[in-house]
Formats: sequence, C-alpha cells, structure tokens
Amino acid sequence: MKKLLFLSAALMLAASTFGQAKKPTIMVVPSDRYCIEKGYVIKFNNQGTTIELPDYKKLLQNDSDMRLAISKISGIMSDREFPLKDLEQELRNMSNESAETSLLTGSLGGSVVESPIDALKRTAKADIIMDLDVSIEKQGPKNSIRFILNGIDAYTSKNIASSTGVGSPSTSASIGLLIEEAVLSHMDEFAGRLQAHFDDMFNNGREVKIMVKLFDGFDSNLEEEYEYNGESEALGTFIEDWMDDNTMNHRYSLSDATENFQRYEQVRIPLYYERNGRQRAMDTRTYVNNLKKFLSDEFKLDSKVYMRGLGEAWLIIGEK
Amino acid sequence: MRKLVGIITMGIAALIITGCSSSAGAQSRHKVRKLEYNSAYNYEVSTIAVGVDGTKLVKVWGRGKKAEDAQRNAIKEGVACALFHGFPAGSNGSAAPTPAIIKDPAAADKHADYFEKFFAPGGQYLQYVNRSTDGASADRVKEKGGYKVGVTLSIAYDELRKEMERQGIAKSLNSGF
Repeated sequence: MKKLLFLSAALMLAASTFGQAKKPTIMVVPSDRYCIEKGYVIKFNNQGTTIELPDYKKLLQNDSDMRLAISKISGIMSDREFPLKDLEQELRNMSNESAETSLLTGSLGGSVVESPIDALKRTAKADIIMDLDVSIEKQGPKNSIRFILNGIDAYTSKNIASSTGVGSPSTSASIGLLIEEAVLSHMDEFAGRLQAHFDDMFNNGREVKIMVKLFDGFDSNLEEEYEYNGESEALGTFIEDWMDDNTMNHRYSLSDATENFQRYEQVRIPLYYERNGRQRAMDTRTYVNNLKKFLSDEFKLDSKVYMRGLGEAWLIIGEK
Repeated sequence: MRKLVGIITMGIAALIITGCSSSAGAQSRHKVRKLEYNSAYNYEVSTIAVGVDGTKLVKVWGRGKKAEDAQRNAIKEGVACALFHGFPAGSNGSAAPTPAIIKDPAAADKHADYFEKFFAPGGQYLQYVNRSTDGASADRVKEKGGYKVGVTLSIAYDELRKEMERQGIAKSLNSGF
C-alpha cells in the first residue's frame, strides 16, 4: 500500500513538473476590405496622402451581419476548447487601460511611466488573427455569400490556415442566414488546417524572426574577431553558432547580414525550456534573453532586447 | 480443300485466342471490382448541403446482397467516411469540404478492437447518424449479385469528433497546450 501511495505521489509530481506549450491566443478581425466597403473607416492625412484605416469599434457597433459571423465562429472555437479573444472587449479594455494609466498616481504623487513606444504598442494583439471577409454576390434575384477566412500567424505574418468559397445562391434566405451557413460550412476545414499548423509547431518548434543590431556607441562590430572556446572567429559567427545549437532541428535561416546587423528568419524555437527543474513555455523574449545572456557571459557584451510584435525580437548590442 | 481446312483452323485458333483474352480481361475486371468493393478507402459519398450546427448532410451509397444490407452498409460507411476520409465539397458551393476526424492513417489498425465494437451490428456508430431517407426506389440500383443503395444521412460530426477525442483516437485542437 505504501509503495502504491509513493508511486502515485511520484506520478503526480512528474505530471505537475511537465509543462505545457504556451497556448496561442486567437482573435477574429474583420478584413480591411470589408471595413472600407461598408464605410467603417477612419481617414487621416499623412503628408498629403489620405490614409484609410478600419474603424473596428464603429463596425462592431453597427454591423449585425459581421457580429453574427464573429459570434458564430467564437462559438464553434469555444466548442473545440479554444475560446477566442473578443475584439470588441479588447478594444474596450484598451481604452479603459489608457484612461486608467493617465489617472493612476502613487501615494507620493508619481504617475505611471509610459514612453511614446509603450503607447504605440498598446494595440489589440493575438498570436493568430482570423482575418474574416464576407461579401454578397448578386445574380439577378439570387444572393450568395463569398466567404474568405485566413488565419495569419502574428509571429511570422504567414497565412497558416484558410478556407474560402462561394455559397450556393438563394432567393429566399436572409443575408444573416447565408452568413451563418457559410461559417458552418467552412469552419471544419479551417480548424483542420489550424490543427496541421499546431502539429507542425509541436514537431518543429515555433517560427519567429530575430534581428541582431548594434548601438552606434558600440566600438566593435559583428565581423570583429573574438576568442571563445579556444577559437578566434567573428562575433557574428559565434552568434550563428549559438543559433544553430539552440534551434529545433537546427532550423533557421540567416537571410541577410553585414558587419552591423544579422537578420534571422524562420527560426524554430523550442516550445519549452527548463528552469529550476520545471518545464516552462518558451517565447521569443525568453529565447532572445538567452542569447543576451550568452553574449554577456562569454564576451562581456551588454545588449538590449526589444520586442517587435509577438514573434519578432531585436537584440541590440552595445548598451543595456 | 487443304487450303479451306487451313483457313478454318486459323479462324478457330483466332477465335479461341480472342475469347481467352476477353475472358482474362473480364476476370481481371472482376478482381479489380472485388478489391474496390472490399477497399477501406473506397467511399461513394457526396455532400448535399450544410447541416445544422455540428452535423453534415451527405448522401452515401452502400452495396449488399439484399437492399437492406446495402442500406445498413451505407450508414456504416457514412460514419466511417467522417472518421477516416472526410466529405468532399458540395456541388455549386453548397458546402465546403469536411476533413476526416482522424488524421492518423494507422489509427484504424491501432484501435482495431475499439472500432470492431463501434461498428458491430447495432453498435455505437448508430448514435451519430440519422437517416433522412430510407433508400427510396430511385436510389436503388440492382447490380450483378446484389444491390447498390443511396441513403441521405445527417451525421453528428461534432459529437463523433468529441467521442474520438475522449477515446484518445483523435487529437483535439487544444491538445498539447
């Protein structure tokens, strides 16, 4: 009996120490084309050129067809135990956060620090954007729905899952009903492709972009020779070696490099890392922080990690 | 006279050769048909329309010695198609294609015991399918040695997927997270 208890305790401990990959957040966002066609746009003048940006808030307050489509997709994804981030709530949260940040003061009267970059970064984010476009096609008295759903990986800007098609024409069904039918028709195909993307991620790691840059005060460059492990090589070569050692199946691509920068694309980072004997979910920041630590420990170089979106990080060498 | 006998002999020989080759062709055609009939990958199915939430409305053809057997096989094949093959897109944009619930091609062999019980006569598979036609006379084709019957089915695709996920045969979208 004691043995059995010990065994179950050991199994529970093992289960608790085994981590899970960071679950990607997904959000349905109406396509720019839809917003422009329906007139839900904010126009502004950018040095003589009129720029039109989608006004999601206005759209969600007025367009019941799009709200129906988003709600239907959210329901189906929740049913698959993958609840979506709600765009409307996210926009509301952001405006509240902005107001709270400007009003919040400490006991000594200090206000919350926010740089222009921090304010710029305060946008609705998700790991995967489901870009939804719906348009009505008319053939005489018949209406049909052209449905386009693209899953964009915010880490790489790649289209990772899609489902498109034109529904069968109908004279009697309402537009709302046709949209609902289109969503029901396409979601299984979309989910199947999303599953294939997740399978690839588990097998080959998460794909991210990494840029290595230099601060102008840095008195060396990436082609300068450094000593490491008894070898004398350019700093850039040692960084590339680190990348090779720390990517899943050594998968990365150094797409461009000079003495001042290196651009790594299709970098497959592992989904987990171990800390204090426990597995934790790895993200781009943690991964690039490891490179920062490597440069600091082995070459005594200061560097700064700058996150540019969810799946892109810059490591800028020369200053903290 | 000798010439005539020669011509007749050659004619008979030609007839025998042609007869043999055509019977060999028929035999191989019969073999192919038999193989196709028994193949686990051979489904005669078409998507009719988008079903209500979580269901698929499809027409499946089954074969059997009697029309009732053919109907029963059609229902079984409808569920098997949802599990291992998926449904094609409907004509004229009536529905998008539906992927198979089980992506692993070896799953049927790995879980052979489970599927044997699942597809047994009166088995659990019947829980995930509703017949909307009973194989009307227009959908019955008399074939050599039996019948081919088309049945319109409403397959509870989402419920079937959840059951496979519960059994650990299919992966759920959030598995691993």
